[in-house]
Amino acid sequence: MRSTLQYEADFWIMSVTAVITQGVGIVFLWAIFRSIPRINGWDFWEIVLVYSLVVLAEGVSQLFAQGVWNLARVVNTGELDPYLIRPYSPVLQVLGSEVGMNGLGNVGLGIALLVGAVIHVQVAWSPARLALLAILVVSGGLVKIGLNLLANSSAFWLKTTWAMVPFSLHTFGELTRFPLTIYSTAIRLVLAVVLPYAFMSFFPATAVLGRGAPQWVGLLTPLAAGYCLLLATWVFRRGLVRYESAGH
Amino acid sequence: MTLPLDAGRTVNVPFRAYRRLALAALRSLTAYPMSFAFSMLASAFSALAMLYLWRAVLSNGRASSGFDWPHMKAYLLVTFVANSLVSAYTDYQMCLRIRQGDIAMDLIRPLDYQRARFAEACGFGLYEAGAGIGAVAVATLIFGGLPAPSLRSFGLFLLSAVFVLPLRFGIVYTSGLVTFWTQNYVGVQAARIALVTFLSGSLVPLAFFPGWLRVIAGAAPFAGMASTPALIFGGQLQGAAALRAVGVQAVWTVALWLLARAFWLRASRQLTVNGG
Repeated sequence: MRSTLQYEADFWIMSVTAVITQGVGIVFLWAIFRSIPRINGWDFWEIVLVYSLVVLAEGVSQLFAQGVWNLARVVNTGELDPYLIRPYSPVLQVLGSEVGMNGLGNVGLGIALLVGAVIHVQVAWSPARLALLAILVVSGGLVKIGLNLLANSSAFWLKTTWAMVPFSLHTFGELTRFPLTIYSTAIRLVLAVVLPYAFMSFFPATAVLGRGAPQWVGLLTPLAAGYCLLLATWVFRRGLVRYESAGH
Repeated sequence: MTLPLDAGRTVNVPFRAYRRLALAALRSLTAYPMSFAFSMLASAFSALAMLYLWRAVLSNGRASSGFDWPHMKAYLLVTFVANSLVSAYTDYQMCLRIRQGDIAMDLIRPLDYQRARFAEACGFGLYEAGAGIGAVAVATLIFGGLPAPSLRSFGLFLLSAVFVLPLRFGIVYTSGLVTFWTQNYVGVQAARIALVTFLSGSLVPLAFFPGWLRVIAGAAPFAGMASTPALIFGGQLQGAAALRAVGVQAVWTVALWLLARAFWLRASRQLTVNGG
């Protein structure tokens, strides 16, 4: 953290960039909703809720687990070696090897959007429902971290110099910024089951709003988070067995 | 070491030299087709989300701000190809070479820096356009065919499309020069992509903007980078209005080129090469 803060100008550039990039997406939604009241039955603030959960999950994963995006490089160059010597979990070391400062911008914007959505959607907010939302937000972040680790663990098999496969999966996951119902069955199936990115935004939102999908699916989010993290750690360990450093 | 150079010099170099640069740029992409395909997949996924979203919005023959589903489809696919031009390579390589000091080598060469980068952007662009059109062909298999433009519209569309690459180059090149001041370019690049995508009408057609924003985006160079050719292709922009829009493109192409040159004169004086 301190090493990143040293470059103060860079920190501000990255934070502002994160806000601009995601903010443009919100302006886009606003521009559409100027002429259309609903998309597949979802109004503006309901979609903002879904969108804010993706921004938050992205921000959380950047702040706590940005290092996973270096995995392809360190596997390719053999820089992974020092992690394996230290008496500490290699998975956690890889995840924590970098703090993505643009995560702060995303978390800030995500919270702002979430608060806006919570105020405007037609839901009777009780303390229990707000607590549920908080649990689902945290679980959504963990889903994202788990899926990032899973995707990046492909580095042990692919051995490419940069994380091109995980990055395209990440952009695929961004499809969940919009309600899942707009997509074709095949895409829905992949986002809900195969690579359950929908659990970081759409399903939690349906659980809170009580519509769009059966509520119990959204309540499974913490389980989905646990499943993603366990699966990812298992795949990472399997990959580690194949790791043969550089040279030799 | 600060290089005291006459950065604005124009040397008479045969066109052949620039053509070679363009070819080399093209080959650098064809050598790593997988890497290119995956980087393109990222923009393809976001285009996919847009297509599904608009299909949901415009289902059952509904129309909004003058767009029905077939026309929106055509609009989105043309802007997708436009956006794939001068996507990342030009500024990525510039910033890498500026940061590492390799730029000194570029300055020694008897080539005009801006023209050389433009030649490379054309080389990349050939590949990017080909891949983009290929992706559009796949998209039409999923989402159905596009409304065919009239012959007149199509001719004007081709003319308008020619301006897309130099316009985008002007912005990308200028923002690449920012590396002379900031060491971290990733943020500048991401912000530039977000702003250009939005103001060029690639995310949502300019017709959906409120009036004041539409006027700004229309007069700025951004509309010509995606919106203008896409609207001409779909037939929403015709006759005198279309000719005027192409004229705006032409004026901005020249203006951006000259602005970039002026910016280069200032930027290149910022250069400090390590260990000199």
